[in-house]
Amino acid sequence: MLTYEPDDTFAHRLDPRTKLAVQIGFAATALAHPTPRALFVLSALAGLVMAGAGVSLRRTLVAYRFALLVLALAPVLSGVTLGAPWFDRAAATASGLASYRVLLVLLVSAAYVRSTPVRDSRAAIQRTIPGKPGQLLGIGVALVFRFLPVLRGDLRTIREAMAARLGTERGAVDRASTIGMLGLSRAFDRADRLSLALQARCFAWNPTLPPLAFSRADYPVLVVAVVLACSAFI
Amino acid sequence: MIEFQSVTHAFDDVLVLDDVSLTIDDGEFVLLAGANGSGKTTLLRHCNGLLTPDSGAVRVDGTPVEDDLIAARSSVGMVFQHPRDQFVSATVGADVAFGPENLGLERDEIDRRVAAALAAVNMAGRGDDRIDALSGGEQSRVAIAGALAMEPTHLVLDEPFTGLDDPARRSVLERLASLAADGTGVLLATHDLRDVCELADRVIAMRDGRIVVDGPPANVLGDLDGLDVRVPSE
Amino acid sequence: MATNQTSVERVDDAVVRSFARAAVLAALMGAAAVVGSIPIPFSPIPVSLGVLVIYLMGLYLGPVWGPASAGLYLTAGAVGLPVFANGASGIGVLVGDSAGYLWSYPIAAALIGLIVHRGTALRDLRSVRLPILVGALLAGTIVIYAMGTAYMAWLLEMEAWEAIAAGALPFIPGELLKIAAAVAIVRAGRITSVRP
Ligand SMILES: Nc1ncnc2c1ncn2[C@@H]1O[C@H](COP(=O)(O)OP(=O)(O)O)[C@@H](O)[C@H]1O
Ligand SMILES: [Mg+2]
Repeated sequence: MLTYEPDDTFAHRLDPRTKLAVQIGFAATALAHPTPRALFVLSALAGLVMAGAGVSLRRTLVAYRFALLVLALAPVLSGVTLGAPWFDRAAATASGLASYRVLLVLLVSAAYVRSTPVRDSRAAIQRTIPGKPGQLLGIGVALVFRFLPVLRGDLRTIREAMAARLGTERGAVDRASTIGMLGLSRAFDRADRLSLALQARCFAWNPTLPPLAFSRADYPVLVVAVVLACSAFI
Repeated sequence: MIEFQSVTHAFDDVLVLDDVSLTIDDGEFVLLAGANGSGKTTLLRHCNGLLTPDSGAVRVDGTPVEDDLIAARSSVGMVFQHPRDQFVSATVGADVAFGPENLGLERDEIDRRVAAALAAVNMAGRGDDRIDALSGGEQSRVAIAGALAMEPTHLVLDEPFTGLDDPARRSVLERLASLAADGTGVLLATHDLRDVCELADRVIAMRDGRIVVDGPPANVLGDLDGLDVRVPSE
Repeated sequence: MATNQTSVERVDDAVVRSFARAAVLAALMGAAAVVGSIPIPFSPIPVSLGVLVIYLMGLYLGPVWGPASAGLYLTAGAVGLPVFANGASGIGVLVGDSAGYLWSYPIAAALIGLIVHRGTALRDLRSVRLPILVGALLAGTIVIYAMGTAYMAWLLEMEAWEAIAAGALPFIPGELLKIAAAVAIVRAGRITSVRP
């Protein structure tokens, strides 16, 4: 699985906002230009980004294997026709290029994931998105991070308990609704306890924000992000 | 100082607090005992405005709680059952910082308070630990640190020993004793008084929403029969 | 006591309660994406329970906090939490082949919440008539698959029928199963959206 890994690469030292800007610029221009020439340049750039974040190509491809399956299937589906000539090379090529740009965008976002701890992302959200939505999204991301393993444990326990009681012999609807109902009621119990703790600790709209500052390395990278975003329109 | 003046509270027409009057001084260590359903949790939640009285008044340091919830909630720190569901961050230090951040304190002051609160619960230097990797007793202590970082005059705990084994229970108790020795008032709801009586200045017991016993442990232990409370043997 | 308390803008207690439920359901969605799939008879594709959680967001959180919860799920995945299908994450997924489905989630949750609750105040789900409930869930599902396949067709330069064949048809039995499961959860009536 693709996650944050502590390291000391160039990307690890960048401000999360810079890295978000690069991804958005890269995605915009990749989506706008599914041409061989543009994709050639973007491939080189994606390679640089991955090297800058210490991302392993093989592991990233494994992490995105399900998406890759669809990306590989799309050109085949596009190419196959129901009558002569049975395979339309032009349609398959267009779809193949379109799929390839998606792969590049995935690789670039893997660099962000590997190099950015949740704490930094939360700070970036709280400092970039103004007002109440920014505060709720920032704290919300921290809460999802905190509760993800807890709820995974809940779901696993529920499934094991069902299996132990011959749950595999029950109908699929029955099983899905049992997992859903138990999962939901446990989640709500936890949420209601969490909300007491948030209230008791004075959950506020205007807290002291987590520290975050651009360094000198960020500025040239931000320029690259802006150039990428602008190139989407040419 | 926490004052209850003829407080009543009903859930769905069932009277859960019935004309409760009570004064808790700064620095007092008070045990709140009583059977399940006797109203302990409901009483505690009035101390910081999580619940408001149907009639009567609750004051913290002379101010009615609902007039200044921020003041009440930072003066009265609260820790609930199931500490696992009360954390907002996946790591210890970030979680303890949540309260002071909401108060809008400067970052230096927040860092100072986090360090002091962690030291007070014997978790100094553990700020980067993952909450999920802690033992139950450590999680309870971090939850207490989260309340202490608000620098409250009173610490209120609702059955904090549930699910803890004896060594973990002792580690929490020992911390409460040292906090009390340093002048923090403690109000502790529990139905197991075995090893806490020697720490307490005062025992209050409830039955059906009323205070039926109130006095120093030595004088009142004999009056706890029939209240479903575990008392020290001998 | 703390300094400059007067400037603290407290989040209203009712908002905190709804927000906590929204955040925890977003995490449940992420947990379901990884450990929540069950095999179904006669289908090679196991059913992921993720969309069931989207239904529950609309039903139990309503047209405001339901989409907020789904939006939080997308944000958490975008910044690297392993919450998307099979533990994937990253902004790339939000523009990738399945992005149309993901972006449809807040809209589907809002639509289900609006139909069932007929406004922003939450109603007791036990008082919702069965045809309304099923209709709301079907409408939400149609939004999810319409957006999912339309975006896939555009992104990968496929014909509409190709995208539908790859991105919708294989999932129909699983979706019907999840709708039935959501209805069963509501009918059991053990969980309330309206808090005392
Ligand atoms: N939110 C609530 N809604 C309805 N009844 C409640 C609620 N909270 C507590 N009660 C009822 O109030 C009574 C006292 O509960 P509580 O204060 O939790 O007691 P204790 O903490 O001593 O076990 C119980 O009968 C309980 O069922
Ligand atoms: Mg209780």
